[in-house]
Amino acid sequence: MRRIEFLGLSRAYGGQPALVDVSLTLAGGEIHALMGENGAGKSTLIRLIAGVTRADSMRVRIDGAEVPLASAADAARAGFRFVHQELHIVPQLSVAENVALGRPLPRRFGLAVDWPRLRAEAAAALARLGAVGIDPALPAGRLTTGERMLVRLAALLVAGDAAPRLYVLDEPTAALTHAESARLFAVLRDLARDGAAILYVSHRLDEVMALCHRVTVLRDGRVALAGPTLEIGRDGIIRAMTGREPRGAARPIERSDAAATAARAPVCRLDKVAAGRLSGLDFTLAPGAILGIAGLENAGQSELLRLFLGEGRIAAGRLEVLGRPRPSGPAEAWARGIALVPRERRAEALMPGRTITDNVVLPHLGRLSRPLGLARARAEARMARDMAAQVRLRFRALGQPVRSLSGGNQQKVVFARALAGAPRLLLLDDPTRGVDVDARADLHELVRGLAARGAGVILTSTDLTELLELGHSILILSAGRQAGLVPAAGLTPETLLGAIYRAGERAA
Amino acid sequence: MRRLRRYGTLIGFAGIVAAFAVLLPDTFLTTRNLLNISQQVSMLAVVAFSMTLVMAMGDFDLSVGSMASLAGVTAAAMFQAGHPVPAGILAALAVGLAGGLLNGVLVAWVGILPFVATLGTLTMFSGAAFVVSDGRTIFGRDIPEPFAAFARGGVEVAGVTLPALTLAALGVFLVVWVLLEHTAFGRRLYAIGGNAEAARLAGVPVARLRIAAFGLTGLGAAAAGLMYASRVASANPTQGAGLMLDAIAAVFLGMTMSEEGEPRVHATLVGVLILAVLANGLTQLRVDSYIREILVGAIILAAVGAAGLGRILGR
Amino acid sequence: MTTGGFRAGNSAGAMLLAGLLALAAATPAAAEGRVTVVTPYLAQPGTQFYVDGFKAAAAEEGWEVNVIDTAGDIAAAVARIEDAVTQGVDAIVINVDPAQVEAGLAQAQAAGIPVVGMDAGMHPMLATNVTSNGYAMAVETATYIVNRIGGAGNVVMFVFDPFPPVQMRGVIADAIFANHPGITVIDRVTPDVQDGGIADSRAKMEAILAANPEPGSIAAVWAAWDQPALGALQAIEAAGRAGEGIVITGIDANPQARDAIAAGGNFEASVAQDFIGIGRTAAGAVARLLAGETIREPVIYVPTRLITAANVAE
Repeated sequence: MRRIEFLGLSRAYGGQPALVDVSLTLAGGEIHALMGENGAGKSTLIRLIAGVTRADSMRVRIDGAEVPLASAADAARAGFRFVHQELHIVPQLSVAENVALGRPLPRRFGLAVDWPRLRAEAAAALARLGAVGIDPALPAGRLTTGERMLVRLAALLVAGDAAPRLYVLDEPTAALTHAESARLFAVLRDLARDGAAILYVSHRLDEVMALCHRVTVLRDGRVALAGPTLEIGRDGIIRAMTGREPRGAARPIERSDAAATAARAPVCRLDKVAAGRLSGLDFTLAPGAILGIAGLENAGQSELLRLFLGEGRIAAGRLEVLGRPRPSGPAEAWARGIALVPRERRAEALMPGRTITDNVVLPHLGRLSRPLGLARARAEARMARDMAAQVRLRFRALGQPVRSLSGGNQQKVVFARALAGAPRLLLLDDPTRGVDVDARADLHELVRGLAARGAGVILTSTDLTELLELGHSILILSAGRQAGLVPAAGLTPETLLGAIYRAGERAA
Repeated sequence: MRRLRRYGTLIGFAGIVAAFAVLLPDTFLTTRNLLNISQQVSMLAVVAFSMTLVMAMGDFDLSVGSMASLAGVTAAAMFQAGHPVPAGILAALAVGLAGGLLNGVLVAWVGILPFVATLGTLTMFSGAAFVVSDGRTIFGRDIPEPFAAFARGGVEVAGVTLPALTLAALGVFLVVWVLLEHTAFGRRLYAIGGNAEAARLAGVPVARLRIAAFGLTGLGAAAAGLMYASRVASANPTQGAGLMLDAIAAVFLGMTMSEEGEPRVHATLVGVLILAVLANGLTQLRVDSYIREILVGAIILAAVGAAGLGRILGR
Repeated sequence: MTTGGFRAGNSAGAMLLAGLLALAAATPAAAEGRVTVVTPYLAQPGTQFYVDGFKAAAAEEGWEVNVIDTAGDIAAAVARIEDAVTQGVDAIVINVDPAQVEAGLAQAQAAGIPVVGMDAGMHPMLATNVTSNGYAMAVETATYIVNRIGGAGNVVMFVFDPFPPVQMRGVIADAIFANHPGITVIDRVTPDVQDGGIADSRAKMEAILAANPEPGSIAAVWAAWDQPALGALQAIEAAGRAGEGIVITGIDANPQARDAIAAGGNFEASVAQDFIGIGRTAAGAVARLLAGETIREPVIYVPTRLITAANVAE
């Protein structure tokens, strides 16, 4: 039996360790699950063994023999094959060409492309995957996501100069239907039976339990647990993933404050709201309350927050914000005291080339300006300086472009913007992703402070610990449906994760 | 050193001026010639300044040249039909504003890329200019004397006559400068240019501002078309065509002067002056007009390329 | 890497500086006469002949000539005239409507630099304008018709009064035909020129032919320029009346007209302008001005030439 050993993998980004001395042993014929929360180091690990990112330290042994792994070419030579989350197919090319992508095409007399042979090879590879329904001559753009996945897999089967020894699949079922997933699993079992090792990265506990022989759980860049799946069991995996005890921070706001604010009108009230793929949203947010939204990845968290900005069409139910119907768009939302920290810092929040001041004051320009829209540079700078101090921003000058700040400080700029107007409803979409521990603590403190002054906060996070640290109550979303609303007190990350998975199972 | 990189284009400009001053000692750095240059470039300057508005958002407008032509022939056709000068001017500016707003609507609401949308309206405005003028040059008695006299006139300050066209361009410069540098409107335009989606989520009414900015650019193009028609005391349906590429070139030259590659209107002014000084000086040096064009193009590429290279290497 | 940017930024300036110096070295120092020719229309064939004629004559004089083409841009033409004034050339020659470049002419006048028009149009700020005589061209063809039809018969005229240079041709033809009592102008047609004038002229001529079916009822067609003459020719040939001896004349002698004349059909004559001659004569005017002479005539006419089957091949 073949053994592939990755030993002592370490990698730090800008002094922040992402992987610390992780070792992983894979065996031919085995499907090995790699699990962990977001940021636990899974992606880094995959990038290292794909040769895409240089490891700070790593040794690779195949059947006891040391092999080099410094580049993607090395990985290909070693017989490693990867299916990444984003499916790299070329929609304009035919299925057959996509299967052959990156390889020299078969030629007749060394000149003309031998199309029949190309198609026959593609058809054979697809047949091995049981995908006989896919016509190799079809443009790949017409395939469903699941079929594209199979095309990528077929490409892996025919690719490379070395026989495939290891397949790495990163969240392959994220976009697949149930039937497509089932077919994929059958193929993976076949590949394993033929002697290949498979590293299977997934958030989905059920799949892992059903499919994988062994599991390795990463937490904070280290191996938290490794062993046979059946021995460890579902609960063991969840415990290993969330293991960190909740930090003993001053979580609940003073009850007296809460009681005082509870008497006032609610910040928002949702009455059986359905919008897009969201449904059954039914809750009230009191001033000073922090509501955490929990759920599997992409269960509708962002869409829920964006409802309050006036986005998405409400199909049923009633939504009231700050005593009025919801705003018609982001402009009105900010004007009414609704502030957003978007999920994607680079794509949705920051103007990287513009200054700290420009980024902070943007939604508040209307208030800061004189009549006729004449800007007051000094008032803008004052707001930026005050807010920078409040969020403990580390910067050189207010005029420096935000792209020159570290990730955590960039996120603080986004917070400074959101908090500058003293919002009455603060929407936080995974607000501390990729933020270091110190900055994260600072940001949490700001959120609690704002709530203590009577604002309502709605928070999503891929980090369950964060949800429980900040949230007073937790709303569980399952495929867009409100599956539960529970007080955060008494919940642990394990019980919450269990509840999320149970909600998912009920939905399925 | 960082500053020197930013000021590379400015230094290049100073070098060009110095070179001409040496090579043309008697004629180049004279008040008359400098006023001439300012007047010669005034129409291009107005187009480039207003083009800076849309380029601040990361968009651009290819239709400004044909809009300038259209505005010119619109005014001339009004004069021909016996309307007074103010009516002709107002009609031309209204056409400019409407055309610009159309561009804005196509980009912001219909969602067509600015390149494609304004390429389409470029053709439309050009066709409209031919329709309005019947394909002919409107000149001679059809152009009222006061209208043509504007471009020849000026304001005397301390013994020097500042050309009216120069003053008009300075006026437009001031307006655009205040808009871009000193109003919430300008800050929001730059925010859109920095990251349109982020700006939208931060409450910037992106679509409305786009339409407004394109409208102003159309208005500026129309003003330039009127200045052109006044200067040549005539209007024909293609006379503004050359303005568009030069205006974009001027803004690009200006963009090489900012750290983040943002179009700023004072930098655009330098870009405009570089083009004007080159045309004036090289003519005086009797450089063949076709060679001159090759040289001007090469200089634009050199400046933009050098700045781009600097930015890449600086990463 | 900031230094790299500095280098790069400066290199553009340095490159230009070097180029300018090289150019300056290559340009001969002030010759006897420095003349700048400004035109937005160099791409048009007629203008190229003017400029060739001018350059040939200027070379004989030993002048230094700088031809500037602004590629259709009138404002740029104004600017370049101003630049030439600043540069202090001895004379400027323009091939553009003087009314459109008046701003530049005013500067030249103020600087005392003479400006000669080369088929530019008459203007008080021009020392003189060299061109063909539009009246004379109409005389040539109208008298040709009078002589060919023996001073009697019905004549169809194609005119275009909205455009002054063409309108004046019609006036002359009117006068000449009116001077012969035997000649009746049965129609004075203004064709639609959107498509160049041939197609609509043909349609108009077909209608006239239909209205005058008798052979010999139309003696001649006089056209103020070549396109209507070509249209009339097509109509006559299509109607099968080419054998009636209808005489057609045009003006301008464009290549299509020359072909028709050479073919020996009804299209018998047109008038050619002497473009090269206009260029040479403009140079002559410049020479007179440089010699200190004041040219009294605001327009200098260069003789035109009647083109018939006899000389069309030349």
